[in-house]
Amino acid sequence: MDTFLEAIRLVAAPDVIVAILAASVYGLVVGSLPGLSATMATALLVPVTFYLSPIAAIATIVSASAMAIFSGDIPGALLRIPGTPASAAYTDEAYAMTRKGQAELALGAGVWFSALGGIAGTISLIVLAPPLAEMALSFSTFEYFWLAFLGLMCATLVARSSPVKAIASMLLGLLIACIGIENPGGVPRFTFGFTDLLGGIEVIPALVGVFAVSEVMRAMITPTPPPLPRRQFGSILAGQWTLTKKYPWPLMRGNIVGIIIGVLPGAGADMAAWVSYAMSKRLSKEPEKFGTGHPEGLVEAGASNNASLASGWVPSLLFGIPGDTITAIAIGVLYMKGLNPGPTLFTEKASSMYAIYIMFIIANIIMIPLGIAMIRAASYVLRAPRASVMPVIVLCCAVGAFATGANLFAVLTVAAFGVLGYVMEANGYPVAALVLGIVMGTMVEQSFVTSLIKSDGSMLPFFERPVSAVLAALTIGALLWPVFVWLRRQALQRA
Amino acid sequence: MRLTDRFTGLFLVGLGALAAYGGSRLPPVPGQPVGPNVFPMVVGIGLSVCGLMIAFGIGHRFEEEAEADLAAHTTHSPEQDVTHRRIWYLRALIPPALLLFYVFVVDHIGFIPTAAIMVLVTAVTLGASLRLAIPLALLAPAGVHLIFYKLLRVPLPDGWLPMPWS
Repeated sequence: MDTFLEAIRLVAAPDVIVAILAASVYGLVVGSLPGLSATMATALLVPVTFYLSPIAAIATIVSASAMAIFSGDIPGALLRIPGTPASAAYTDEAYAMTRKGQAELALGAGVWFSALGGIAGTISLIVLAPPLAEMALSFSTFEYFWLAFLGLMCATLVARSSPVKAIASMLLGLLIACIGIENPGGVPRFTFGFTDLLGGIEVIPALVGVFAVSEVMRAMITPTPPPLPRRQFGSILAGQWTLTKKYPWPLMRGNIVGIIIGVLPGAGADMAAWVSYAMSKRLSKEPEKFGTGHPEGLVEAGASNNASLASGWVPSLLFGIPGDTITAIAIGVLYMKGLNPGPTLFTEKASSMYAIYIMFIIANIIMIPLGIAMIRAASYVLRAPRASVMPVIVLCCAVGAFATGANLFAVLTVAAFGVLGYVMEANGYPVAALVLGIVMGTMVEQSFVTSLIKSDGSMLPFFERPVSAVLAALTIGALLWPVFVWLRRQALQRA
Repeated sequence: MRLTDRFTGLFLVGLGALAAYGGSRLPPVPGQPVGPNVFPMVVGIGLSVCGLMIAFGIGHRFEEEAEADLAAHTTHSPEQDVTHRRIWYLRALIPPALLLFYVFVVDHIGFIPTAAIMVLVTAVTLGASLRLAIPLALLAPAGVHLIFYKLLRVPLPDGWLPMPWS
């Protein structure tokens, strides 16, 4: 009880409350602007979190990401352009509702079911994390190696691209993580004589480059989205309770699928929305209505993407394995703030853990009034010319990267990774897998090499302990899954 | 910047081979069976194998399906069909070029002038009128400087134009 009271005290601190409110408004605005993703919003926040208290820093990430994922629904419903990739799956449906004169219902469903999904995801975090932490206390390097490897494989498995390209992206990330002297021999590796590379590639500038600069680069060659016509909205929440009562199972299914996808390393809100929307259509009693402005898919996928956001923190907090690209950034902040991910976090810093739970609940509750305000202000915010937003983002990328270590090499890193992210995305190489490789590289190598040293170079002990054997089987299954899918398709084609 | 799968695949084969070779030349740790060479060699070989598969078009069908799915769910604006000359697409390189400009110039002329040039160039390239771009180039750097220098205490160089709060 004392720990819980301490957590409330931590969250009630004025700096944390200001951080939650400011980050919420920031997340709502950035998420609603087409082309600016929730991950980018989070990446640009990191330099600011350097100067905040640990709880305020995490509060900004939790609030901004939750708001941005919802806010991406707004241009989707009004312009048929998703604000964030997480809204892309049901943009068509929401826009069809707007054309039928049900814009309020579509946007209301966005905010209402996002909040419900977010709360369900938080409950999963509260319920799942402590028992898993207890189990993880007995893990050795063998289990950690398989867990990290499984995480990397999951990221490639769920990528909406060629699995081979996803694995190549992940390996490229691991190769980038090899740079520097942080290796088993402590020798300079792939530094080519540059002292700036001795410390390795900093994760935060790399992420800012991949997610923010590459988006500005894309904006340079894509047409400006059409301006949003001014309009007056009626009641936003009217009809949402009726929808909740009408579609309890889709809501429940969306929450569960979102939670499962969130827990899977590397798979985030966009994947959750795609899977849930497809599932909703397949299991619906009225599948023929999908695509004509039917709210059922919106209920399921809208809840799912926000549920995945909170559950994505489970592997991140427990093992330091990112649940999605947003938590990949959050892990960097956790380390920076002395909240090193791991099972002991739940025993040694229990009050901070409770504080994270409380912040998630608060963020999802205030999403409703702030989301409604954002919907009403959308006519004005979405009229902001892209030519006035993007220059500020470029500037923030430069200054933000510099702020991470008062070092201009970080700005060079941002530029290089911007180009890399842009080229990869343009050629179907998923950048989420690259990011996962960069973030987890050191951990994978350490657990791999330490395990090999313990086993005297033999691979057998990697499979001897029961948990590591199960994890190994899952990893090998994930590796072979695309081959199985391909063989099945070939067989079906021949039949 | 769409490259062929054969090109990107072969590039990865080369990169993987270089990584594996570079890894193999790292010194071992005395008395330890595994050193800093093992991981880059494993990753390099894996990257080369993936590169070969990509070059031969393995897994390409998964990509086509995802693209078709996304295209079916979002607006296709007629402006996207406008084709430009190849050189026009090089404007995508302006943001990283501006970041390089920042690295090499900021310590000489200071933050405000460097940032103003970056904002002006980006805004004009994105089609802003000078009536929007010039005030933005004057105000945005000052705002960013205020937040990062004054509130977050990031040591931004003054150069030619020190701000009243610095």
